Amino acid sequence: MIQLFRLSKSFGPSTALSDLTMRVHKGEFVFVSGPSGAGKTTLLRLIFGSEKPTSGHILINGINLSRINRSKLDLLRRSVGFVFQDFKLLPAKTVFENVALALQVIGYRRTFVRKRTHQCLKLVGLAEKEKAFPLQLSGGEQQRVAIARAIVKNPLILLADEPTGNLDPDLTEDIMVLFKTINMKGATVIIATHSRELLKGGAQRTISLIRGRIVGER
Amino acid sequence: MKLRLWPYLFSQAVINIMNNRLVHLIGLGTMVISLLIFGIFLLLFVNLSAWIEGWGSSLTISVYLEDGIGDHARNSVASFIKRLPDAELKRFVSKEKALSDLRNTLGPQAGLLEGLSRNPLPASFEVLFKEVGGKDSDPRKIKEQLEKFKGVDEVQYSEEWVNRFKDLMKIVRLVGLIIGGLLFMGVLFIVTNTIKLTIYSRKDEIEILKLVGATDWFVKIPYMLEGIIQGIFSGVLALLTLFLAYFFISKEKAYFFSFALLDFSFLPYEYSLAIFLLSVFLGLVGSLIAVDRFFDI
Ligand SMILES: Nc1ncnc2c1ncn2[C@@H]1O[C@H](COP(=O)(O)OP(=O)(O)OP(=O)(O)O)[C@@H](O)[C@H]1O
Ligand SMILES: [Mg+2]
Repeated sequence: MIQLFRLSKSFGPSTALSDLTMRVHKGEFVFVSGPSGAGKTTLLRLIFGSEKPTSGHILINGINLSRINRSKLDLLRRSVGFVFQDFKLLPAKTVFENVALALQVIGYRRTFVRKRTHQCLKLVGLAEKEKAFPLQLSGGEQQRVAIARAIVKNPLILLADEPTGNLDPDLTEDIMVLFKTINMKGATVIIATHSRELLKGGAQRTISLIRGRIVGER
Repeated sequence: MKLRLWPYLFSQAVINIMNNRLVHLIGLGTMVISLLIFGIFLLLFVNLSAWIEGWGSSLTISVYLEDGIGDHARNSVASFIKRLPDAELKRFVSKEKALSDLRNTLGPQAGLLEGLSRNPLPASFEVLFKEVGGKDSDPRKIKEQLEKFKGVDEVQYSEEWVNRFKDLMKIVRLVGLIIGGLLFMGVLFIVTNTIKLTIYSRKDEIEILKLVGATDWFVKIPYMLEGIIQGIFSGVLALLTLFLAYFFISKEKAYFFSFALLDFSFLPYEYSLAIFLLSVFLGLVGSLIAVDRFFDI
């Protein structure tokens, strides 16, 4: 379970999030929506622990992120997948290596890493591009590499920041099905998006942010 | 760190070096040059100390004999001297020889000696010590022992000179230590900054590794291995260059040094080993210091 309590984040004079309180239960599927600059990325980064709140608390399964040291955070991150809005792929590594990395850092066996990486690349439709380098791929393909890297370790929590921003409608649907499947298997999924298209279909819980505040929930 | 991770970490270090050849080449060059400067300094310092030591520690002692000393007494003094360690009985100076030496030294003023009714100069042994300062070659003790012999009048050596030599060696060591220390810090500074540069160009990579859940050590170890590998190569290259330079200079030694008859030798192996270990250490510490700056993710 993810609990946010009176969470605020400022960057110098500008406030990205102010006084946010909410909770996401284990196994939930949640959208965070809002216009550009609303604070969606900031919110996900705070949950991921790669950004520290200015005030307030974040609890993940009862663990207060501001109370744990870095090596505990590293351990916690092993069960959290993050699809970065700007992908954050390593340009000098192949697609396969980029995805495998998320398993290697945890110390999985080589044979398992290979098998599981293949499997995930197939899931996102990139089995043929394994040996390519990120900069040789289209934007949508890079985005799917980022998605594969986030799901490869079977995370308990999946944070996806605008994961379909570069995908065509068909691929978008495929990826959403993929996320739903992961969710069915028990993972908590939080997706940040400003795409109305994405929000239209489902009856999912949606939290709307505007200028760092929750303005509605559905 | 799990054993299973090491092959990955090591191959990562090698891949990183290959992917960043140019940066590493620059780092390597900087390190080799820095170490070379340090090595040249050490080489000169070691040789200079050896020269000063060799020149200063060869001390001459004069053993003055009483007039009319018998052959037997004289021989026993001579054989005692020959048994002394590090000592060489250079020559026996008879009364007549001493006088003629003096006459030669005086030159035109030799006439002063004409009025003498008898030769006032004593006969003496000149003893050369190649090494002074050891416990068996303390000039004071030898003087004491020799003066107990029958027929020995006086033993002279220049105490002042021995002390001055010791002071000179102290100064040389101190200056060497200071210059060497400064050079060492300079090298450390240059090396860590070069490595910082090589790592700075990859801070995005460090960030991403941390974001996908790598522990600090998982990120650091390849960089440390890179530093060690770079240190090994730099150390070997610097020593090799230094040795080649030494080799060619000493081949021309006859030309360079013949006037002084000085021995020019390479660094003792402890020093070479020290330079090598220093290089490895610098590579390791340099990359550790450098990588630590990017760890607030
Ligand atoms: N590192 C930063 N330094 C300074 N300001 C920042 C930083 N990150 C975010 N902000 C500011 O915080 C606000 C929220 O940014 P955030 O990236 O969370 O928006 P977003 O909802 O993800 O927008 P988008 O849909 O365009 O991705 C913005 O006004 C932004 O300028
Ligand atoms: Mg964003």
